[in-house]
Amino acid sequence: MESFPLSEPVLLVLLSLAEQPRHGYSILKDVERMSGGRVKLSTGTLYGALRRLLEEAWIERVEEDESPRDRRPYRLTSRGRRNLQLEVERMKQLTKLAALRVARKEV
Amino acid sequence: MLRLYRGLLYLYPSLYRREYADEMISVFRDAHDDLSAARVTDRISFRIREILGLLAGALRERVRFVSGRSPLIAFRRFDMRPEFRFPRSTVFLMSIIFAGVILAMEKANLIQVKYAAGVGSIWPSLPWFLGFTLLFTWAAALVVWGILFALGRTGTHRLENIESSPSSAE
Repeated sequence: MESFPLSEPVLLVLLSLAEQPRHGYSILKDVERMSGGRVKLSTGTLYGALRRLLEEAWIERVEEDESPRDRRPYRLTSRGRRNLQLEVERMKQLTKLAALRVARKEV
Repeated sequence: MLRLYRGLLYLYPSLYRREYADEMISVFRDAHDDLSAARVTDRISFRIREILGLLAGALRERVRFVSGRSPLIAFRRFDMRPEFRFPRSTVFLMSIIFAGVILAMEKANLIQVKYAAGVGSIWPSLPWFLGFTLLFTWAAALVVWGILFALGRTGTHRLENIESSPSSAE
């Protein structure tokens, strides 16, 4: 999964967890909020993404004794944070290039 | 809706279910409750999204389970991965599979009710049987067509051309 670019839902899930550890429903609402209501993940899509990210050790479960089994929080690992930063850098460069090309076309 | 959701979770491999089913049901329940005061159209689109999400997710996990690796399947159309994309026909195929699941569940319910009541036969009446056979044949034909169409979209049929290209170049 180290290949880029990431899909938008996966990127939004990572951004959501970059702020603080969250459980499934909290991620779902945060993704919707971040995208201004444009991206509404289904639980199937969300847990598919979480499963892949767990498998690749980009995220991990926060083991809390008091949290019930159906409401376990997830958090970003250092590997996940590093890869997210790389992806953000890639997007920055792409945006810069796009802005330059669009501006050149307008002149 | 929760019953249907739990039923559709059985499409996932059992290992996946054991790991995530409780969480998924809990999140679904919260999201569903959240929409209790929402517009009817929002509630309908939520249900469609959840059903399609589960069908796509189950398919993805089954593929992974069989192939032993995570397929890089696109999440919606804005995925920019060049490796693989679901053809649009997949949505169509999933709808047919969904219809099949609903029919099977409905039929199982009917049989259960008949058994519980202890009256009548469990065998379907002739019109129902004919209707079901017709529908089943139609669905099977559509699935075959869908698979052929999907294969066409992925370009599998062009492999022959690639293999024969050196000789054709000569």
